Amino acid sequence: MADDAMVTIPAGSLRALERKVESFKTLVEISTIISSTLDLEELMSLVMEKAKGVMGAEACSILFYNRDMQKLEFEVAVCEEGDASNILKKKVLLDIGQGIAGWVAEHLEPLVIEDVKKDPRFFQGADKMTGFETKGLIAVPLIGRRGLIGVAEMVNPGRFDFDMEIFRLLCRQFAIAIENSFAHKESLERERLRQELDIAAALQRSFLPESPTFSLGDLSVSAVNISAAKVGGDIYDFVTPAEGKLGVLIGDVSGKGVSAALYMAKASSDFRYISSRAESPGAVLDGLNAALSRYPRGMFLTALYLIADSAKGEALIACAGHPPCIRITAEEVRVLSVASGPPLGIVPASYETTSITLGRGERLILLTDGVFDAKDRSGGRLGFEQVVEFIRRHRDEEDIVRMIVDRVSDFSEGTEWADDLTVVEVRRR
Amino acid sequence: MKIDIQEHKGVKVFALSGEIDMASSPALRSELMALVGRKAPVVFVDFKDVSYIDSSGIATFVEGLKAMMPYGGRLKLLGVPAKIMEIFNFSKLDKVFEIYGNVEDAFKG
Repeated sequence: MADDAMVTIPAGSLRALERKVESFKTLVEISTIISSTLDLEELMSLVMEKAKGVMGAEACSILFYNRDMQKLEFEVAVCEEGDASNILKKKVLLDIGQGIAGWVAEHLEPLVIEDVKKDPRFFQGADKMTGFETKGLIAVPLIGRRGLIGVAEMVNPGRFDFDMEIFRLLCRQFAIAIENSFAHKESLERERLRQELDIAAALQRSFLPESPTFSLGDLSVSAVNISAAKVGGDIYDFVTPAEGKLGVLIGDVSGKGVSAALYMAKASSDFRYISSRAESPGAVLDGLNAALSRYPRGMFLTALYLIADSAKGEALIACAGHPPCIRITAEEVRVLSVASGPPLGIVPASYETTSITLGRGERLILLTDGVFDAKDRSGGRLGFEQVVEFIRRHRDEEDIVRMIVDRVSDFSEGTEWADDLTVVEVRRR
Repeated sequence: MKIDIQEHKGVKVFALSGEIDMASSPALRSELMALVGRKAPVVFVDFKDVSYIDSSGIATFVEGLKAMMPYGGRLKLLGVPAKIMEIFNFSKLDKVFEIYGNVEDAFKG
């Protein structure tokens, strides 16, 4: 029986089998390396080193496919002598279809070339730059989940009798590992940006008054400010420019995001400085206009500034392209018409000051366009007149500021808020 | 937004259509600022087919205007639809920009 079970394997088949086992061993080893790191540089050097060793190659390189340029560019090169990596990195660009790598990228098929001199597709540029002599090479496309990532090349391999299927499998795994490390890098970058935005948002909040309410004599103010994004471009401030005087600023920076937030911060600090020195609201806006004109990129600020006397109720108002304020008296609710100049920071201008007297129990509502430009689900806008009408209907309500914000919130339910929103109430008891 | 740059009697005319907002204004900015960088003496912007403009869109024209002022260049807006004109009036931007009804008026102005 035992004799019957003896099988004789021809020496050639045995060697092939041994090579297969060897190849599988390499596959497992490289798989382990691939899953050991998400660092792209480390991953590439480890895999290239290993592959170079297994194939007995003199050098190997990876070219990444740049989707924007639609070209291949050298990313890493490992060779025995010197550091060709730095010579080639990002400097040699190949069109799709150009050279061996370009051919592989175009056809998404590997190429095995024992003598490049006999192959007209071979591109000599890289050798000329590095002084390296390419004799033969194996080039394989690196194809990830989203398509071509690049091309890997083994230069002057010691052997050509390898299992192409296993090699392709390996390259596929390698491609996915590269994709994973790209994704990891992106997520780290996103996290870093998120943290920076958190810091920017906290810094920006510090430019707004510590408390959203403030009182001086018979005058009181309260504000609600909501940013559509983490950082916003709306501004409001309460100051006491002189004894018994309450200054209230509301403004809206053009644009959104970090640039608008930085501009808001500059406007806020300039306002604090200028408002402590200039007497009338018009003069404050004149000064702020000049200070903001130096800011780049066409950014501007619409603003309304009022200074009210806490004893007499006299209010001086100046406006720079900002939506008018709404006056609530015992008899009526109406839009307060005041002289207005262009937004701040655009052209030299002189801002007029308008004077009114706030009677006891009267209120002024200041707002930014985020209130009336709010969109509903069908894209319709709330509208300034509708806001005035809403205030008219709720003129006796104590917390009108909160009610306006709730109205905007109801109106834009189911949509993402596109703009910052600020409502400030100035009231004389 | 679509930008179509035409030439009318030697003056570059930006014929815009669609929405000028955060997303589309960078493309407009690079075209406009390239022209202003070459010190174009006059630039027309045709608003006839513009459906919406936000403050970042307006900021693009403000930037162009501010860059043209030092060399005496003129930025003229024309064919501004009523809805957009409302925004310009409301925010007193009509005091900032030269606004004309059509190309002929802009040439005369």
